[in-house]
Amino acid sequence: MDGYSVLLVDDEEEFVSALSERLMLRGIEVEIALDGEEALARMKEKPPDVVILDVMMPGLSGLEVLKMIRGSHPQTQVILLTGQGSTKEGIEGMRLGAFDYLIKPVDIEEMLERMKEAVKAIGNG
Amino acid sequence: MVGKFEQLSRVKELAFVGKVAAGLSHEIKNTLAIINESVGLMGDLLSKEAPDNWQAYPRLKSIIPSIEEQVQRSAVIVKRLNRFAHSSDKPVTSLDLNELVQEITTLAQRFARLLGVGLEAQPAPEPLQIASDPFRIQYVIFGFIERGLWRCSPNQTKVTLACARSEDMAQVIVTDQGSPEGDWLRKQIAAALSPAGISGEEEDPELGILALTMAELGGSVEIEEVGQTGNKVILVFPAKIPET
Repeated sequence: MDGYSVLLVDDEEEFVSALSERLMLRGIEVEIALDGEEALARMKEKPPDVVILDVMMPGLSGLEVLKMIRGSHPQTQVILLTGQGSTKEGIEGMRLGAFDYLIKPVDIEEMLERMKEAVKAIGNG
Repeated sequence: MVGKFEQLSRVKELAFVGKVAAGLSHEIKNTLAIINESVGLMGDLLSKEAPDNWQAYPRLKSIIPSIEEQVQRSAVIVKRLNRFAHSSDKPVTSLDLNELVQEITTLAQRFARLLGVGLEAQPAPEPLQIASDPFRIQYVIFGFIERGLWRCSPNQTKVTLACARSEDMAQVIVTDQGSPEGDWLRKQIAAALSPAGISGEEEDPELGILALTMAELGGSVEIEEVGQTGNKVILVFPAKIPET
């Protein structure tokens, strides 16, 4: 299962920087984007297997970006990150086609598990 | 009772406080996520690259899970803050009184611990769905918990909150094992609800405000003494808050 690619999208630079390094240490190919527009540009260049997408970002919201990805890259799986106490946005995201959602702060093992399931789902899709 | 403008203004002010608090809790969660990933990365790098003879390594390795544990603990606290902040979003909403009582009991645990008093919620076996104002219900229940804690404090006894259905009404029964004050409580509440209202000169003016808030919620406060061993405050809530 190693060797899949992930696009990490979050406006918190230190968060994406530390998390991307941790994922790379585990043999995952990681690209980062700090907002929705940058994420969509990266998707055009090189669509990843999985997008880890923060729900609340300045500019395009995570849910708006999700809708666009679902329309343009149906093969890519999206896992949402929500920083809120409520799971409302996560559930709404799943209704819009997200594979799953995780609540910040995230346990890395749990994230890896969900990403593996997402990659497996691409194969089955 | 308050006028329409005062009521609307109070709703908007509470929603403002709630919105700001919810926004701040979101920011704190982002900060926690950064700490979580940074300390996780530190652990990853230490496991991979620490020299074998580095004496501080075992100590550093043991500190990392402790930081991660505190991050998770803070995340749970922030989640509570966020839910509490959102309770002022709408003046009337459908809610389960069982859940609300458990939530406010959790929020009050710290105050109980500081006084050395036990605090326990006893939910009803089935959901107690009502349409009411979650923020004001929490305010009233918290107010009566606080008074129960003060009465229990000298002997470090216990306050319990039992939820129950009574015909088409829902009840929260706050029982404390403090000094019996039934007559005094009844007198204070009756005075607050009398046409003269609250003067501010009472021994506990907030108790009167709690009783008036209950009346605005369409509910009532009943007091019973538990023998010589405490007090029972029965908060009765209607299935639906009256329209004003």
